[in-house]
Amino acid sequence: MTTEHVRPNYILIWVYLFVLTVIEVAAAFLSHIPKHWLIIILVVLAVVKAVMVAMYFMHLKFERWRLRLIFMIPIPLAFILVLAVITEKIW
Amino acid sequence: MTHVTATANMMHPPVPAEPGSGVYSNKLGMWVFLASDVMFFTALIGSYIILRFGITDPWAAPGAVLNVPLTAFNTFLLICSSVSMVKAYAAIADGKKYFLRAVPGKLLRDGGLKFWMLVTIICGAMFVGVQVFEYIKLVGHGFTPAGFREGSTLAEHAATDAVRYGATTSGLYGSSFFTMTGFHGFHVTCGVVSMLYLYFTKVLPEKYSAQDYRGIETIGLYWHFVDLVWIILFTIVYLI
Amino acid sequence: MTSVAHAAPAHGGAHHAPMSFWRKYIFSTDHKIIGIQFLFVSLFFLLLGGVLAMQIRWQLGFPGQPLPGGGILPESMTSGGVILPEYYIQLVTMHGTFMVFFAIMPLLMGVYANFLIPLKIGTHDMAFPRLNMWSFWLAFTAGLIMLAGFFVPDGAPRAGWTMYAPLSARPDLSGVTYGQMLWCVSIVVLGLSSVLGSVNYITTVINHRAPGMTWFRLPLSVWALFITAILAVLALPVLQGAAIMLLFDQTIGTHFFDPLAGGQALLWQHLFWFFGHPEVYILILPAMGMVSDIIANGSRKPIFGYHSMVFAIVGIAFLGWLVWGHHMFMSGMNPTLGSTFMVSTLLISVPSAIKVFNWMGTMWRGNLRFTVPMLNAVGFVSMFTIGGLSGVFMAATPVDMHIHDTQFIVAHLHYVLFGGSLFALFAAIPYWYPKMFGRMMSERIGKVHFWLTFITYNLTFFPMHILGMGGQMRRLYDPTQYDFLKPQQPLNEFISIAAFALFAVQLLFLVNFLWSLKHGKKADQNPWQDNGLEWSLPSPAPHGNWERVPTVYRGPYEFSAPEAGDSDFLPQHVKLATDKEPAGRFER
Repeated sequence: MTTEHVRPNYILIWVYLFVLTVIEVAAAFLSHIPKHWLIIILVVLAVVKAVMVAMYFMHLKFERWRLRLIFMIPIPLAFILVLAVITEKIW
Repeated sequence: MTHVTATANMMHPPVPAEPGSGVYSNKLGMWVFLASDVMFFTALIGSYIILRFGITDPWAAPGAVLNVPLTAFNTFLLICSSVSMVKAYAAIADGKKYFLRAVPGKLLRDGGLKFWMLVTIICGAMFVGVQVFEYIKLVGHGFTPAGFREGSTLAEHAATDAVRYGATTSGLYGSSFFTMTGFHGFHVTCGVVSMLYLYFTKVLPEKYSAQDYRGIETIGLYWHFVDLVWIILFTIVYLI
Repeated sequence: MTSVAHAAPAHGGAHHAPMSFWRKYIFSTDHKIIGIQFLFVSLFFLLLGGVLAMQIRWQLGFPGQPLPGGGILPESMTSGGVILPEYYIQLVTMHGTFMVFFAIMPLLMGVYANFLIPLKIGTHDMAFPRLNMWSFWLAFTAGLIMLAGFFVPDGAPRAGWTMYAPLSARPDLSGVTYGQMLWCVSIVVLGLSSVLGSVNYITTVINHRAPGMTWFRLPLSVWALFITAILAVLALPVLQGAAIMLLFDQTIGTHFFDPLAGGQALLWQHLFWFFGHPEVYILILPAMGMVSDIIANGSRKPIFGYHSMVFAIVGIAFLGWLVWGHHMFMSGMNPTLGSTFMVSTLLISVPSAIKVFNWMGTMWRGNLRFTVPMLNAVGFVSMFTIGGLSGVFMAATPVDMHIHDTQFIVAHLHYVLFGGSLFALFAAIPYWYPKMFGRMMSERIGKVHFWLTFITYNLTFFPMHILGMGGQMRRLYDPTQYDFLKPQQPLNEFISIAAFALFAVQLLFLVNFLWSLKHGKKADQNPWQDNGLEWSLPSPAPHGNWERVPTVYRGPYEFSAPEAGDSDFLPQHVKLATDKEPAGRFER
C-alpha cells in the first residue's frame, strides 16, 4: 500500500513532459550551441523527464525509501561499468 | 495468492508475515524485475556510449539518417500512453470499472478503467507500428544493422558528405541503433500483448475492483518503465 | 486484532482436487518439486561436465593416444580415435559452460533457493509459484539448446567458456557457425530463467517471512541465497545483453566487437566479466551459507559471529561488482584502470577470510559430530581456503602477469568451484535429502565417498598449481609440443590418472543418491537435530508445508543453549515459557 498522499495532477505532468520534449528537439537542431553543452543540456533534460515519470507515474515519490532503493541500486552499477570502460579509450 | 488470508483489501503486503517491503508481492516483484531490466539496457545503452566515446571519426548528425520529427511524434504517443496508463490506475483505484460515464454538469464524459486501458493499448500498438514502419523505411534507404548498404541512397549521400552522414562510423551506428531500439520495441510489444491479455481476461469481465487492482498497478509499472527507457533512448540515439 | 473477512483457512496437504501426474510432478508449481526437478537435471549436467573433463584429461595426459571408446565419435571430433584439436577446444569450452551455467549455478540456486527458502522462512510456497515453474522450464529449455551445439554442423563453440570476441564473433576465425548462435540463445534463455527465479526468491524472503522471523533470525543459508539472488538479478541481464550483441555480430552483421569497424574487442571482455565476477560469487555464496548451517549443526554450537557473517556476505556481494578487471590484467586494458582492480580484489579477500575464521570459531570446542554433511562442510572450508589463497596471488597484477591463463588459474578455479561449491553440495545434498525424499542417504557410502574424493581431488588439482608456475598454458591441446613443457609431462599424466580415479569415485555418490531414493533408511522428522523451521515438518515435507505458518521465537543457531535444558538444540519455532509473541499484527 502506498503511503497516503494527494494524487498528483497527471495531466499537468503530461504537459511538462510535452514541453520538455519540444525544448529537447528544438535544442538538438539549434546548430549554434557548442556540441559539449548541447549534450549536457539534452542529457539533463532527458534525465529530468525520466525522473518525473518515475516519481509521479510510478509513484516513487510516495513510496517508502526501501522501494526507491531497489530501483536506484542498478544506477551506480551502470555508471561504474560505463565510466570504467570509457577510460579504455579516453585515458 | 491461494494461502494468504483474504482481507477486505488485497492491496496490502501478505499476511501473516513479518513486515517486509510494505507493499504487496506483485508490486515488489515487478520493481525487482525492473531493476534487472535496467541492467539489461545498461549493457546495450552503456555499450553504445562506450563505443561512441571510443571513436574519433564523426558520427552522423542528428536527423541525417533518422527521421526525428516522426520519432518525436512517436515519443509523444508513448508519453500519452503512459498518462493514459496512470489514469487507468487512478480510475480503478476509485473503483471506476466502466468504460465511459456521463457526468452531470460536465461536457466530457468520465473515463473508467476500460476506457483508459484501451487508450493505452492503442497508443502502445501505434508506437510499435510507427517503429516498424520506420525500420522498413530505413532499411529501404540503406540503413542496416551492419551500416549503410552498398549502392543504397544513404551510401551515396555518405560518399558525398562523409561528415554529415558519419560514413566511417555507420557500422557502429547501425549496430547500436537497431539493437537498442529493437529490444526496446520488443519490450513495448510484450507490454502491449500483456495488456491485451489482461484487458480481455480481467478488465472487460470487471474482475478488478477498488479492493484489488494489483494487476493494473503492476503492468502499469512495467509500462512506465518502458516509457522511461524510451525517453533516455530517444534523446541519446536521435538527438545527440 | 480486528477480525476481517477470512477466506477458507489455509491448510497444507492437498487443497486442490487430486492432481494428475503431469500437474503434480512435471508442471508443478510446488517449490519443493521444482527444486527436485532442478536437482535431477543439474546432476545430469554435472555428470556430463565430468565426462567432458575425462576426455580433456585423456588428451592432456596422453596426447596423441587414441581415446578409449573414441571410435564412436565422428570424424569431425577424432581421427583414428585420437582427439582432434578442434574437438579438444570444444570440450574445454563446453566443460566450462555446462559446469558453470547448468551444473553449479542451478544446483545452488535452482535447487536450494527453491527448496529451502520457503521452508526456512516459514511460508507455504514462493511468492510466485507459477513463475517459479516457468523458471525451471526455461532453464531446462536452455540446457537442451546448449546441448544441441554438439549435434549441429561445425559443432559446439570453441572460444572457451568466456567466449572472447572477436574469435567468437567470426565463424571464419573459429570455424563455428550454428553452435555459437545456440550458445548465445541458450544464455539469453537461461538468463531469463535466473532473473525470474531470483525475482521470486527476493520477493519471498522480503515479504513472506513468518511472524517472528526477523532479518537477523534468518539462517545464513537464507541470507546467502537472498544476497545471491540480488547478484543474479543484476548481473545476468548484462550477460544477456552481451550475448545478444555477440549473436548479432555473428548473424546480422553488427560490429560491436569488430575493431575494424570501430567496435572494441575488449568491450566483450568488460561486459562478460562485469557479469562474470558477480557470477562467481553467485557460485560460492550459497555454498558458504549452507555450510554455515551445517557446521553450526555439526558442532552443536551457535555460528561464531553471526552478524559479521551476514555483513561479510553483503560485503563480498558489494565488492564483487568492483573487481571484474582482475580477469583482464593481461588483456591490454588501460593499466591505470587495472591497478584499481588490483586494490579492490585484494580487499575482497578480507570478508572471505572473516568467514573462514568464523567457521573455525564455530567448530572450536564444539561437540563435533562428523556426519557425512559435516565432513564435506569442513572439507569445503579447507579447500576453499586454498582456493582463496591462490586468488590472493592472482590479485597482484605483477604476479598475475606470469600466471594468467596458465594451469595455475585452472587450479584456483577448481579449488573454489569443486573444492568449494561442489564439496558444499556434497554436504547439502545428504543433509536435506531426508526433507526432500523422506529417506536418508547411506552414511557409510557417504564417508567412503568423502575420503576418496578428498584424496583424489587434491591429487588431481594441487599439482596444477605447479604446472601453471612452470608455464603450462590454459586450453592447450598438446603440452609436449613445447620443449619447455616436456619436463612437466609426467605431472600431466599423474593428474590425469588421479582425475580418472576422482571421476570413478563419484559413481559412489551417484549410486548412493539413486539407490537411497527407494531403499534408503526412512528418515525421521529431524534426523540432524537441527533448529531450522524445515525440521518441524514431516520428512518429506508435504505440499503447502504447514497448515498454519509457524511463529518464530529465536535465531537458528541455539545449540547447547542453557534454556533448552537437556537437549543440545532449540528449534526456532518452539515456544518456551519465557518467550514473548512477536510484536506486530499478524492476521491469521
